Amino acid sequence: MIRKPHIFIPVVLLVFLLQPLSAAENDLESRVLKFTLNNGIRVLLLERHLSPTVSLYIRQRTGAVDEISGKTGTAHLLEHMMFKGTTTIGTRNDAMEREILQKIKEAGRQLDLERRKADGADAKTLETLQAKLKALQEEHKQWMIPNELDRIYTENGAEEMNASTGQDLTTYHVSLPSNKVELWARIESDRLQNPVFREFYTERDVIMEERRQRIETNPAGKLAEQFFATAFRAHPYGRPILGWPSDMRFLSMDDVSAFFHQARAPRHTVISVVGDINPEETLSIIRKYFESIPARKTAPPVINGEPPLSDERRVEVSFDAKPQLMIGYHKPPPPAQDDYTFDVIEAILSKGRTSRFYRKLVEEMKIAESVATANGTPGARYPNLFAIFATPRRPHACRELEQAIEAELERLKREPVPEQELQKIKNQLKADFIRSLNSNNGLASMLSYYETLLGDYRYLTNYIKIIDKITSDEIMQAAQKYLRNENRAVATLVSSRTPSEQSGQPAGSKMGK
Amino acid sequence: MKNTIRILICFYCLVLAAPVTAAEPRPVRHPDSLTYKPLRFNPPQARRHTLDNGIILYVLEDHELPLVNISAVFRSGSVHDPAAKAGLAELTHRIMRTGGTQSLSGDDLDDLLAFHGISLNFSAEMDMGLANLSVLKQDLALGLDVFSQILRQPRFAQDKLQLAKDLHIEGLRGILDDPPKYAFREFRKLLYRDNPRGMLSSQISVKNIQRSDLVDFHRRFFHPGNVMLAITGDVTLAEALRLAGRYLGDWQASGRPEMIQPPAGQENGTIHYLYKAIPQSVIVSGQLAPSKRDQDFYPFTILDFILGGGGFRSRIFQEVRSNRGLAYSTGSFYKARQDYGAFGAYAMTKSSSTVAVVTLISDIMTDVKERGVTQEELSWAKKSINNSFIFSFQDTDQIASQQMMLEYDRLPQDFLMKYPQQIDRVTAEALHQTANRYLNRERAVTLILGDEKAFDKPPSSLGKVIRIEGDL
Repeated sequence: MIRKPHIFIPVVLLVFLLQPLSAAENDLESRVLKFTLNNGIRVLLLERHLSPTVSLYIRQRTGAVDEISGKTGTAHLLEHMMFKGTTTIGTRNDAMEREILQKIKEAGRQLDLERRKADGADAKTLETLQAKLKALQEEHKQWMIPNELDRIYTENGAEEMNASTGQDLTTYHVSLPSNKVELWARIESDRLQNPVFREFYTERDVIMEERRQRIETNPAGKLAEQFFATAFRAHPYGRPILGWPSDMRFLSMDDVSAFFHQARAPRHTVISVVGDINPEETLSIIRKYFESIPARKTAPPVINGEPPLSDERRVEVSFDAKPQLMIGYHKPPPPAQDDYTFDVIEAILSKGRTSRFYRKLVEEMKIAESVATANGTPGARYPNLFAIFATPRRPHACRELEQAIEAELERLKREPVPEQELQKIKNQLKADFIRSLNSNNGLASMLSYYETLLGDYRYLTNYIKIIDKITSDEIMQAAQKYLRNENRAVATLVSSRTPSEQSGQPAGSKMGK
Repeated sequence: MKNTIRILICFYCLVLAAPVTAAEPRPVRHPDSLTYKPLRFNPPQARRHTLDNGIILYVLEDHELPLVNISAVFRSGSVHDPAAKAGLAELTHRIMRTGGTQSLSGDDLDDLLAFHGISLNFSAEMDMGLANLSVLKQDLALGLDVFSQILRQPRFAQDKLQLAKDLHIEGLRGILDDPPKYAFREFRKLLYRDNPRGMLSSQISVKNIQRSDLVDFHRRFFHPGNVMLAITGDVTLAEALRLAGRYLGDWQASGRPEMIQPPAGQENGTIHYLYKAIPQSVIVSGQLAPSKRDQDFYPFTILDFILGGGGFRSRIFQEVRSNRGLAYSTGSFYKARQDYGAFGAYAMTKSSSTVAVVTLISDIMTDVKERGVTQEELSWAKKSINNSFIFSFQDTDQIASQQMMLEYDRLPQDFLMKYPQQIDRVTAEALHQTANRYLNRERAVTLILGDEKAFDKPPSSLGKVIRIEGDL
């Protein structure tokens, strides 16, 4: 049996056929090499030889959005557990570990069952079960080597080693000296198949601390959580990536394991490698380590859309902090044409000091400290939001700022954007795009992101061409279509601080607590 | 293009000829037993030039993308703020950029740069002023022209100053809402007490600042002898020198570099407690540490790595987070400059484990003083630091700016190239001595931000406690 030659995306030919673009874009498209392994893993390679380093990304098309209800936070906890090593990394004795991990799982399960009784839990039982788990965890320590995966990467000069869990995707990335691609392949192919969930219950506590840090003590985090929960009631985009605390504290090793098996399908996996590589060698290393991962069939995710809103949705959060405001309008995700248009709208409204929001709300009316916008939150696999984040300047209230924002949005619907302003935006986006090509890490990130999200990294290389064609008519139409009150959610943070703490200023009419 | 095609053809050959058995199970080798080809490592060097008026330039060509980048450093910084006008350096740098020039209003200048997609920023750090200009190749002359006008003839428009002051004050109010930022700010004030570096802006100091203060600050610190530029990207050396000469070469202004004494540090050892009603405390504990010129710089770099700077395997991370699940963010930092350095350990933990974590971190410090580090830890840290050293040379701006900063810090040009060697030479014994010289509890500043009512024990169980108020 002769293996079929692997299919190149015919980008190279395309370049000959198309009129030359600017050198930078043209160059990028022709330099990316794409392969698909037998099991479905897609590989993107790009040579850049300035420094002897390489950035490596693995992305899986699985994220928080794929969790089952009542188990929020599983995807993120799994990502943490993926740093705990494998059956060959981090162990002193694999067989002994298996045995004891089984016991730890059982002890943790019993403890959680008792804790679920909340006030009805028996104090004595809890104490006994806690002691039992603790003893097992101590016993486990003699069979494991903590943080061995990190030790190996770090010792070999790894930088930017991290992972992230989003609503849509899970990402593992690292940058290495370019002679160490095989180290990455060895470690990553191993943890994609044989992860060992060491220190599970301790890590669950770490994630509760992460939640305290990102949500409980962080006004913007707290507001965003309620904002998304309000904007999406049916669709899982309404759930926090970190999870609801009531779910998080009872996630089990089995939950995480089940999610792992569902998540790891090769056909949902994309690898990108950018830097000082020899593509032939790199590809053969990738084949050697990743091609033996068995292909798996995946069922399409069963996720319901958010039903069209019939009315504006509002939520108010009381918190000990300055007031702030989030507004989100429902809209389609990329690669819809309207999504590109909203990228332009985002820039018109909030890119830099010449943007409309800055000039009007910050400089002229002096009612805002800051106004930012983000197109495409909290994810891009499903219909998402065009979001506005604003902080009023004292003594102005959220309501006043909200009205001024609306007035600017009305202008977008009513008046065509002047040619000069639109050209400015296009020039800025183009310059930014070229700047974004100046880093291995950035390139590896963007290429793998669009390949995983849209099945085609060329979203990136074609991006500026499409932006360049957007007209002021399209902008006006998109604004009219989506920037409507009945299509939006609004969340405001109301300060619970007492008036005296606000330096004698009277507090707003709506006091919390 | 030809090259790409040739590589693709090679690929086809390779793929067709590859053995069909690649997917067979293979014996699993431990990652530590993998071997690697030696690394080619020959970073390009920026060329140094001096304009007639004293401006120093570092130039490095890079023609991959049609971009030119200019990074500038000025001998200024917030360390030069007068006590009653803390925030002056920051506002001066900011209003230079936003307040317009003799020939362009701030708004016109912003419009012009935005239309050309030019990015130009000015900011003040503690020990320096910075600017960055990024332009498409065809806009280099325009960008340099504007940059030169800002340096030489800033307008300091009153309305832009007022706006910046108002926004700065609004930003100060926001610090209260950001526990880590709030805690690190108060920590810095304590660590640098009695030194200008510890005097941070407040609503009162910012309100004191007038336009004439900005004009004076600019006159004092912006003159050719105080300016260095790193020019990199799609421009030839000759063209870079010609344009720099054209827009900046005839700038004549006099002045002398001004130096401020490094912080001295002082007897300390107390716990500082700052109240905020939050469910998670922020803990920062640290002290002054060796400067880059100090013999102890290399051992201390390794010490910090082992204690908490080296990621998951470092002691603080492993004990506080992996082993006990008491924090998500925890570790240590060491920042050295040419005449002083600062070190600190930090953790964010739920209220009910606050005192436990302070104690744990303190015990880790005591342990390293008493027992030093193991050979295994030392070897891990050295390999880690030296193997990642090549990431100091990832792009041309980084390389040229680094060379420029060595000169700014009055460090020898071979400082960086000798760094791996110096790290390699550190012995466990030297490291142990360094730990004992610097990690003195009597000199450490410890700050706890949180709500003591919910702590596991009262802060006073840790020793003498001073309650402080954040002055914003």
